[in-house]
Amino acid sequence: MRIECATPRHGLAGPVRACLAISSDDANAPVGSATAWMGGAGDFESGTLPVAIEAVGQPASMQADGTGKGQDFMLEHGTLPAEEPPIYDTRITLNRVTHDVLDPMKGRPGGWWWGAFLAAAGALGIGAAIVALQLRVGLGILGLRRPEMWGTYIVNFVFWVGIGHAGTLISAVLFLLRQRWRTAINRTAEAMTIFAVICAGMFPLLHLGRTLLAYWLFPYPNDRELWVNFNSPLVWDVFAVSTYFTISLLFWYKGLIPDFATMRDREHRPWVKKIYTALSLRWEGTASGWVHYESSYGLFAAIATPLVLSVHSVVSADFAVALVPGWHDTIFPPYFVAGAIFSGFAMVVSLLVILRKAYHLEQYITLDHLELMNKIILVTSTIVAFAYLDEIFMAWYSENPYEKHIFIWLRFVGPYAWAGWLAVCCNCIVPMVFWFRRARRSLATMFVISLLVNVGMWFERYVIVVTSLAQDFLPSNWGYFGPTRFDIGILIGSFGLFFTFFLLFVRFMPTLAMAEIKAILRHPVGGQPSLQEKSHA
Amino acid sequence: MPSLRERPTLVAMFDDPEALLRAATILRTHNYAGLDALTPYPVHGLPEALGLKTSWMPRVTKTAFFIGAGLGFAFQVWVLGWTWRLNIAGKPFVPVPALMPVTFESGILVAGIATFVAMLIAVKLRPTTHYVPFDLALTNDRFALLVPGTAAEMGPIRALLEQLGAAEVRTVAN
Repeated sequence: MRIECATPRHGLAGPVRACLAISSDDANAPVGSATAWMGGAGDFESGTLPVAIEAVGQPASMQADGTGKGQDFMLEHGTLPAEEPPIYDTRITLNRVTHDVLDPMKGRPGGWWWGAFLAAAGALGIGAAIVALQLRVGLGILGLRRPEMWGTYIVNFVFWVGIGHAGTLISAVLFLLRQRWRTAINRTAEAMTIFAVICAGMFPLLHLGRTLLAYWLFPYPNDRELWVNFNSPLVWDVFAVSTYFTISLLFWYKGLIPDFATMRDREHRPWVKKIYTALSLRWEGTASGWVHYESSYGLFAAIATPLVLSVHSVVSADFAVALVPGWHDTIFPPYFVAGAIFSGFAMVVSLLVILRKAYHLEQYITLDHLELMNKIILVTSTIVAFAYLDEIFMAWYSENPYEKHIFIWLRFVGPYAWAGWLAVCCNCIVPMVFWFRRARRSLATMFVISLLVNVGMWFERYVIVVTSLAQDFLPSNWGYFGPTRFDIGILIGSFGLFFTFFLLFVRFMPTLAMAEIKAILRHPVGGQPSLQEKSHA
Repeated sequence: MPSLRERPTLVAMFDDPEALLRAATILRTHNYAGLDALTPYPVHGLPEALGLKTSWMPRVTKTAFFIGAGLGFAFQVWVLGWTWRLNIAGKPFVPVPALMPVTFESGILVAGIATFVAMLIAVKLRPTTHYVPFDLALTNDRFALLVPGTAAEMGPIRALLEQLGAAEVRTVAN
């Protein structure tokens, strides 16, 4: 008797051992009846191969030599397919995943949570007070001066949109690339995306000055038959960021539905159970339901992938379409997208290093996963460094005096050189430490580097926004831009907003995608050997 | 649980997804139709083993994308070319390349929302504050195979399922 393995070629979470085909040495043996298949307490009788084929793929055909191919699976004659290294510890059971993810949310939050929450809420309070003051007094409290009309609000906007790129990139792009390790980090990263885009969206609205008229940004029917100007990248931005927020929110919520159902079924407090019941939308987990769910998950990934690349491209068009030296560059879209992935992944690493420790998730968010994240940070760092070099080279090689003045003198020699060099050090030099494996796997090193990367990326945007406007074509306008305490306060406030949301998220929602992790556990039930192992026995 | 309410159903509980897959396979060869399962995560090979059709979701997304993008483009052309013509340095009133970002974003927005709503409809999801699950472990670590049948069929199916390694077989009658 021969036992062969049928492995699905594709699926939501990558290939999983699914079913076995059993055949006699004579491939032309008569088809056994199904009762024979079950006879002998789970032993497999000869001549039952077509039964197993029926299980995994309809258009299968057997060859005389005992090998066959189906549309969705392969039968490999004589040998078992090579084992892929498991993503998670093979001793983890399904029930343990549920416990490990949900147990930290039980009971009262610890002292560290309250400490962090109060700090974040305090920062948010500072930001809210400044926003209230700005709405009352006006934009004059900020460092905005002619010709420097964009200032730190737009720096913050670009910074937070960039942070918001990691989540959808991890959920969509890594999904399409079949990177199964993403299941350990996608939920947290997606949550981070939502909160970062909320922070980002706040700044252009505040920067309008007359924030209550923000609805003018959208094309809506009005008595004067006025419409927005669709030629303007600022209008593209409105569409790009609001679409990105909506799609990211739906994608995130969709992923949460099966996990909310798990929480609903474990919750005993009546009113909390009601909330999770409402959020889980009567999710049952029927196989027919999973078919639609998985299909729509793949489709969301497919539409979110070009979306995530388009959003920062559109943000970069805010600059690149303007005829301002320092902004008018064709390299901006890929440069901005790489920078966004760079800073977003750095933020994910910063948060995960803390989260895995606080929630004891070391078995799920492993050093291997963090190392892979650090490799992506390293790659995107080199792309960003290349973009810097390209800008400088093109400014020098073009012999354009305005370009040279901005790109070389103002950013690296003149009054803003401190910011330019800070960005270069943090974004291009510090991450080079990740060439060393030991650094990629050291929690302390990666935490420090990920923080420095985000400092560097904030200053990169500062350099782009501020230096390009600081000295325009009229030297009588020239001045030195410095943020006021209100500029700084509102940046602190945006961090407060982000971390307040994030801390509430880790307190009330599953921080890991339980259903997705369970789907790729190598041994779903502890101690129960798979059919394949039985055949070896 | 719609499939349980329609007619008498046997619910076989399994602790192991591979046992569930095998049982589904065998029952299919016995020509049992209308099989479904309840699982805490998508089990690979199960839709094929149960004989479930592939999802119609891709058609919704594709159609919605083209409708969204088409409407977005048409709206911009109408605004810039007809109702709100802006003469910007003598450039064309309808600059097609400049309209692409909003066209693309409208397509994605409509496609995403349509896909989400279609999933809610297809999986029969709706908000409610009262729901009694069939078994609490089915969203955690157990798997159930649902086999509808007439009262006369129940005996043989039950025996079959027990032979196939079901940890527990329950009858849900209406």
